[in-house]
Amino acid sequence: MSTTEAPIDDPKSAERSWFSSLLKLLHISSIRNGFRVAEIDNRLLGMLGALAVIWIVFHILSGGTFLTARNLWNLSVQTAVVAIMASGMVLIIVSRNIDLSVGSMLGMLGMAMAVVQTEVLPNWLGIGHWAIFPIALAFGLLIGALIGALQGAVVAYVGVPSFIVTLGGYLVWRGGAWALSRGRTIAPMDRTFQLLGGGSRGTIGETWTWIIGAVLCLGIVFLLWNSRRQRIKFAFRIRPMWAEITVGVIGCGAVLGTMFVLNHYYMAENLAKRYAVEHGIAYPAGGLQIPLGLANPVLIVLGVALVMAFVATRRRFGRYVFAIGGNPEAAELAGINTRRTIVKTFVLMGVLVAIAAAVSIGRLNAATSGLGTLSELYVIAAAVIGGTSLLGGIGTIPGAVLGALVTQSLQSGMVLMGIESAYQQIVIGIVLVIAVAIDSLFRKRVTT
Amino acid sequence: MNYRKLIAVGAAFAFVLAACSSGAGETTTTAGGGATTTASGGQIVVGVSWNNYNEERWAKWDEPAIKAALDAAGAEYISTDAGSSADKQLNDVDNLISQGANVLIILAQDGTAILPAVQSAIDQGIPVIAYDRLIEDPDALYITFDNVGVGKLEAQAVYDLVPKGVYAIIKGNQADANADFLREGYTEVIGAAVDSGDITICCETYTDNWDGAKAQTEMEQFLTQENNNIDAVLSENDGMATGVVAALEAQGLAGQIPVSGQDGDQAALNRIALGTQTVSVWKDARELGKAAGEAAVQLAQGAALSDVKGVQTFHSPGGNDLTTILLTPIAITKDNLNVVVDAGWIDQATLCAGVPSGTVDACP
Repeated sequence: MSTTEAPIDDPKSAERSWFSSLLKLLHISSIRNGFRVAEIDNRLLGMLGALAVIWIVFHILSGGTFLTARNLWNLSVQTAVVAIMASGMVLIIVSRNIDLSVGSMLGMLGMAMAVVQTEVLPNWLGIGHWAIFPIALAFGLLIGALIGALQGAVVAYVGVPSFIVTLGGYLVWRGGAWALSRGRTIAPMDRTFQLLGGGSRGTIGETWTWIIGAVLCLGIVFLLWNSRRQRIKFAFRIRPMWAEITVGVIGCGAVLGTMFVLNHYYMAENLAKRYAVEHGIAYPAGGLQIPLGLANPVLIVLGVALVMAFVATRRRFGRYVFAIGGNPEAAELAGINTRRTIVKTFVLMGVLVAIAAAVSIGRLNAATSGLGTLSELYVIAAAVIGGTSLLGGIGTIPGAVLGALVTQSLQSGMVLMGIESAYQQIVIGIVLVIAVAIDSLFRKRVTT
Repeated sequence: MNYRKLIAVGAAFAFVLAACSSGAGETTTTAGGGATTTASGGQIVVGVSWNNYNEERWAKWDEPAIKAALDAAGAEYISTDAGSSADKQLNDVDNLISQGANVLIILAQDGTAILPAVQSAIDQGIPVIAYDRLIEDPDALYITFDNVGVGKLEAQAVYDLVPKGVYAIIKGNQADANADFLREGYTEVIGAAVDSGDITICCETYTDNWDGAKAQTEMEQFLTQENNNIDAVLSENDGMATGVVAALEAQGLAGQIPVSGQDGDQAALNRIALGTQTVSVWKDARELGKAAGEAAVQLAQGAALSDVKGVQTFHSPGGNDLTTILLTPIAITKDNLNVVVDAGWIDQATLCAGVPSGTVDACP
């Protein structure tokens, strides 16, 4: 992201009214130049644009159901599982590896957690014991980390290509999922465990949704302020003030707008009646509108994405991963323990798959041995649509999450329109290739 | 460089193959030549070619039933396992014949790929029984559960509760002929009501791999689209019903909207006891094994296809008139849950997990 031609603002000129600068922007001949000055990521902007187009088209074609609070709330929950895994896949692909085993791993870890919580722990603790949830989850996370460590170690220390190792894993873990249950469906899940999957009880409610929105908003402002402060401190080029404020306002607006929409999806009538009875409220004639707010899976995605983005961009480990992806030999010669770093990326991936598996079985309230079939392809597609380069060294976590949202929007929208699954696959396949094609054409133009 | 590319392409191809074969169902590949027992001459020898013995069902339910039927007639049982490979199954059939089998029971991995082997066996005067999966050869005897009948039973149980209203239909894998047989059965039951306008079908879709999680997303979208105005759901199997019920649960509608299914999954039977699923059509694999064993003995004793007990003509999707034994499945609802308990299909503790006592007869 080099901006060599951008006009340089020194700190003093930044003190000038941003309004006059905004006027100046209106005179800038090329919009692209304006983005460059504002250091706005063109890619991300392009994806948001594509998403907006997809949403509007579906809204029109579905006769006005797509852009309703209810459908957008559905969409947020449906995206969660793939988004969680995609944020880990970014680091794997950035370090020039691939993980084809995530779908099968999801199936096996989901099955393992399901068996532990329905058939093992109740024998010792009794059904509905509070400790079942933390033990089952911890067990899943541990197994996920171990599987990741195993695959990563074979890739990094034995030197088997990750394609082959995880292709093996693809078969092994799927078989494992079947063997754990002999093909049975395991249901129902522990009451607390179900909360991980969202559903009617698994949301945080209106107040907390606004609080989370406010915290995220403050976070954006803080990051902008902090990066400006750092740049001034080290006498780096800084963004013009108008750009800072525009980015802040748009970012905050998007966050609060999302929370606003999620708070406008209300508890279903039947459940609201039940709620009224439980809380001793008389059920009003016009209906009781209880906003559901952020669903737990979405909260988990937010947490995962924030942590992963922080690790990827602000921690030494993340820097190493990008360095290895950029040039493995140079990274090694620079003294980076490349092997250990690779193993760590796979461990992280395993843990994220375990989290995704927990969300998945919580949501379905059951574990089936086919759980997660083909999801490795959707995860890789999300990362790649989100701008991760299969050549390594390039990729962002927010991009991958957005990529997951794009693919899920296409799928959910097509179901709303009643398009058959065979055609859904065709559309998604074409979109994947087009997205990457546009991206590589765009990159070529930028670099030459 | 070219060499490397070649390896990459080869690996990708292998991956696609692996993905395809595992998409066909829950299969785990098995190594080696499979279990083979040798026959002695002079009596009835029935050769069974399993496509994939690793699936729990065959060893646990089907094989003992076939063996019992053969034992009763004093016939001998030999078998091979193709380990999900259509190629290997062709060789298996030859091997069974050279081991002296005079009747074959084939559970086909691929109903088309097996045709040459079936034809060559019939040319040698060895009758062939297509077990549970269709083989498009008019000279073979096809034994299966009546899948159109399964669809009819599913629809009937739901239709009895909701004779008028809005129906959503969740179908299985589009590539699987069974998905359409089941749908045909639905039409036979609710078709007239659809034509008269009593029943409206708001939404209908196929579901890749009969995947429960996918069905959940579909059901959520249907409920969104119809603003929860759906009165009944016809789901073609229990795995997808799991997803449908989870989606209904999130709207507080589970237990109020009838949901169908089939297979007698333990989780589904539990849902029936809980009241969140209406019906699961159960195909007793032991009945299938028994029928195949008995038919095999009759064929070995020289009966013509049309003389075998209980046969009828079945017009196949491939346009052939096949001689068929169609077994009738049983619709399990909350009123006859004891059938599956008595058969040893499920134990009472699993069936009644979380069910308040006294709500259904099977859970006292």
